[in-house]
Amino acid sequence: MRPLATGHRSAPLAALAVALVCGCTGLIGSGGDGSADDAVAKELCVVDTPIRRMTRFEYNNTVRDLLGDDTNPADVLPPEEEVAGFNNQAGALTTSDLLVEQYANVAETVSARAITNMTTLMDGCDPASQGSDACALSFIERWGQRAYRRPLEQDEIDRLKGVFDWAVADPDLGTFEDGIQIVIEVVLQSPSFLYRPEYGSELPVEGDVVPFTSWEMATKLSYMLWNTMPDDQLFEAAANDALLTREQIGAQAARMLENDRAKDTIRNFHRQWLLLTELDNVTKDTSIYPAFNASLRPLWEEEIQTFIEQVILEGDGSLQTLLTGDYSFMNEELASFYGDDVVEPVTGTEFQRVQLDPTRRAGFLTSAALMATHANLNQSSPVFRGKFVREQLMCNTLPLPPNDLVIEPPELDPNKTTKEQFEEIGADPACASCHSLMNPIGFIFEHYDGVGQWRDQQNGKDVDAVGEVVQTDDIDGTYDGAIELAQALAASTQVQECVSSQWFRFAYNRSVTQLDSCSIEQINERFAASNFNVRELLVALTQTNAFLYRRAVVAEQGGAQ
Amino acid sequence: MKRISRRRMLRGTLFGGTVAIGLPMLDAMLPTRSSAQAGVAPKRIIFWFSANGTRQDIWSPPANMDLSGHPMHASLAPFSQKLLFLDGVDQDVAYDSIGDGHQTGMACLLTNAEILPGSLFCEGNCDGPTPQYVGWGGGQSVDQYLADEIAKDIVTKFRSLEFGVQVRSSSVWSRMSYTGPDQPVPHREDPNQNFTDLFGDLDTDPFELALIRKRRQSVLDAVMADHEAFNRTLGYEDKQTLDKHLQSIRDLEARLDVTGGVGAACQEPTVTLPGGNFEQNDQYPMTGRAQMDMLVMALACDMTRVASIQWSRSVSNVQHNWVPLRLGEGHHSLSHYDDSNADSQADLLEINKWYSEQFAYMLGLMDGIQEGENSLLDNSVVVWVNELGKGNSHTRRDIPFMLAGSAQGYFNTGRHIDFGGEPHGKLLVSLTHAMDKPVSTFGVPQYSQGPLSGLT
Repeated sequence: MRPLATGHRSAPLAALAVALVCGCTGLIGSGGDGSADDAVAKELCVVDTPIRRMTRFEYNNTVRDLLGDDTNPADVLPPEEEVAGFNNQAGALTTSDLLVEQYANVAETVSARAITNMTTLMDGCDPASQGSDACALSFIERWGQRAYRRPLEQDEIDRLKGVFDWAVADPDLGTFEDGIQIVIEVVLQSPSFLYRPEYGSELPVEGDVVPFTSWEMATKLSYMLWNTMPDDQLFEAAANDALLTREQIGAQAARMLENDRAKDTIRNFHRQWLLLTELDNVTKDTSIYPAFNASLRPLWEEEIQTFIEQVILEGDGSLQTLLTGDYSFMNEELASFYGDDVVEPVTGTEFQRVQLDPTRRAGFLTSAALMATHANLNQSSPVFRGKFVREQLMCNTLPLPPNDLVIEPPELDPNKTTKEQFEEIGADPACASCHSLMNPIGFIFEHYDGVGQWRDQQNGKDVDAVGEVVQTDDIDGTYDGAIELAQALAASTQVQECVSSQWFRFAYNRSVTQLDSCSIEQINERFAASNFNVRELLVALTQTNAFLYRRAVVAEQGGAQ
Repeated sequence: MKRISRRRMLRGTLFGGTVAIGLPMLDAMLPTRSSAQAGVAPKRIIFWFSANGTRQDIWSPPANMDLSGHPMHASLAPFSQKLLFLDGVDQDVAYDSIGDGHQTGMACLLTNAEILPGSLFCEGNCDGPTPQYVGWGGGQSVDQYLADEIAKDIVTKFRSLEFGVQVRSSSVWSRMSYTGPDQPVPHREDPNQNFTDLFGDLDTDPFELALIRKRRQSVLDAVMADHEAFNRTLGYEDKQTLDKHLQSIRDLEARLDVTGGVGAACQEPTVTLPGGNFEQNDQYPMTGRAQMDMLVMALACDMTRVASIQWSRSVSNVQHNWVPLRLGEGHHSLSHYDDSNADSQADLLEINKWYSEQFAYMLGLMDGIQEGENSLLDNSVVVWVNELGKGNSHTRRDIPFMLAGSAQGYFNTGRHIDFGGEPHGKLLVSLTHAMDKPVSTFGVPQYSQGPLSGLT
């Protein structure tokens, strides 16, 4: 029983009604039977998350940090369910026979590799001199605590020691290493390893609302900000029960964002948010785009990811710079693809920071990664680009074409620009109601061809990159070119709140619910107060009641640990 | 080759009578278990999926079933007497269900059940005050039903095998098999991993194999004990999730001692594996072929009686660059042009013709494996399914259902039948009858009143 930190009661409880503009989060009603406890949870903006299971990405990172295994062994597991734009949504991940079968396979291979490095595993314990049992027990307690991210219960130690004893006593196995391997193999299939259970402290702050234990908080922080297990400092803080107050938790979060492991999370988030997974399938008609070859795809991805990572973790961190920055990172091959847009010489295969022509390029928005993905095989696509801006940056969700509508994109006309052709289709009243939301935004990107290279002319005509943006909260108007649009997007509250809600879903592993309004408001306020610094947004995500509390677990069959 | 020599050594050892442990793979030299019991090889059912509908206007066979000149199905000509082309079978339930055309076409396809309400997948107009979301499929799929029923008779190495070819993602658009409502079944998509998972045992020394199994047994026993203690601490919802996980471990343990190796044709298959590139678009044909090679051998080895192979997923946008395309767009994009567009129509024919060739390839493998008097194909029914009838209209009427193999004479093959609008639930019922696990209705009763008439 731990005394409750005083910091918990100082939580701001004001649940102001904030009109969320982000359609794509889809406020999902939260259950509740109207009991007194429900009222408390509601007032405190406390929303429980289903138990989280490690994604393949998190599993790979975790065995890297736990065992030094950097082979990405979890790649063979079935893919996660993708819901609300992300593959880490706790309520959506399903289990299956195949998943469990492959967990067993992976545990077998990872544990076999692990015991090739017994010296590290034993951490100074020598079974020959100190005894097999003593070293096994110390391994189970010490390493098991890292694997389960909390001290082991006695019955857990007993079970693992039991399987160790079985292995060393078995005539066909029999060695100390066999025993350690089997312990690792069991632990890697344990729910305490694969899942992230959160029970909370035994002392409620109010009603049935409880804070998390320091061990649970260490795990929450590390998987949220690093997508992997806690490091030694987090474990130490947990062991000292020093992850209780907002200040303690915020200080750890700030520290963690200085660590290289944060790069994994930044990249993982943007790979999904900005749909970079689609890059793998980008292919172009090389008779129209001779500059394209498949080896550009990884360079494009590395460029946009390096830029984002550098801005957020090393640079000013601002959304403004992400959307409008006039620099990027590339090597010689990529710089030659961008041509005159790169205003300084670049040599060699290493990525380096380069200055771009600020009249042509703006942040990640105009990167080839996005421009080429949201384009057709043989032409740019105002529809796809407009859809991308609407859905990913403004959190609109556009209707799909009606079920039985026949869609016919324009064929290439050598006498017209892409814009002229799409304007013709967009004028059809059957299409206009939806396409007026997308196509004009796409027109603003018409200076970027189907692979993302700058063009002033198309088919002998000057490119017209003027488009009218309508039905937004705060950026309706006419824009000429993506540089203007990027500035508007960066200053748009709708975009800023869209970014924070995307991070909310990714970081909390669930959709936004109606009960999250006060947490959302708090996050947005802090994001705004920092001039939309994404680092500050990530710290803010560790400070909400939604992150700090849950409702006490009522175990189905008693016997809580 | 080391692999071959080890296997030969194993056989030699068997004939020498020195192997004390009854390893099932040694049955390669013996009558199969089911043969010994019933005098015939077991029946198998395989679902074979391709996406985005077809060219309905030319899909059907000629009256004489001579496919040799057929624009789409010429490669199926050698098997024409073993095929049943079904016209006029509709996914009626898909029109009652929530969800868009592809979602319902996929989730209702083998379940004949409506999609569950839920907040997972966006459908149609998600903007505005009442966003439309759907959940997973709402019922057990017929393949999983049959797997459950067959598991009551015999424990095979795998309860069922679901192979995927670049399905990639997991969503209501990409899952056709369900162990129950809200319980989608994922696919085995990595051919390299598949080879190990399915045939690794065949390559392993029998003593080593016995040791591995003993070890796995102990591991899983400890893992189960751990899960049982853990699950007792959870609240209701989380406990449901973890109990399902635990049940899968129990099932895995129950199959530990079971292996393939039954059937004279059973051996490690010759497979060209695509290596680490199996998810790249242009590896699609090679990945698919490797998966079919292994699937057929898994059946020959009696590793399971129920299987499926799913090419991509509904809304597949695979670029079929290996067939001559005029427009060169992804499959889904091509499927959206108007019927009057000659280029897209030509491309869709090429794509569907290619799938027909792949289907023929697998049928050829199956027909080349003799099991007593019948071929493996004769002992099976392979059901070619699609989530749509045609892509540009998203119609789920007149789905291009094709059956291959008679399931040991149950189906009267070599024919083309136009049902003129029967619900596809009746086809699912027919399949349960063919597999000797008959039900009177499957999924929504209204759309599955007994089997389709005239198939037998």
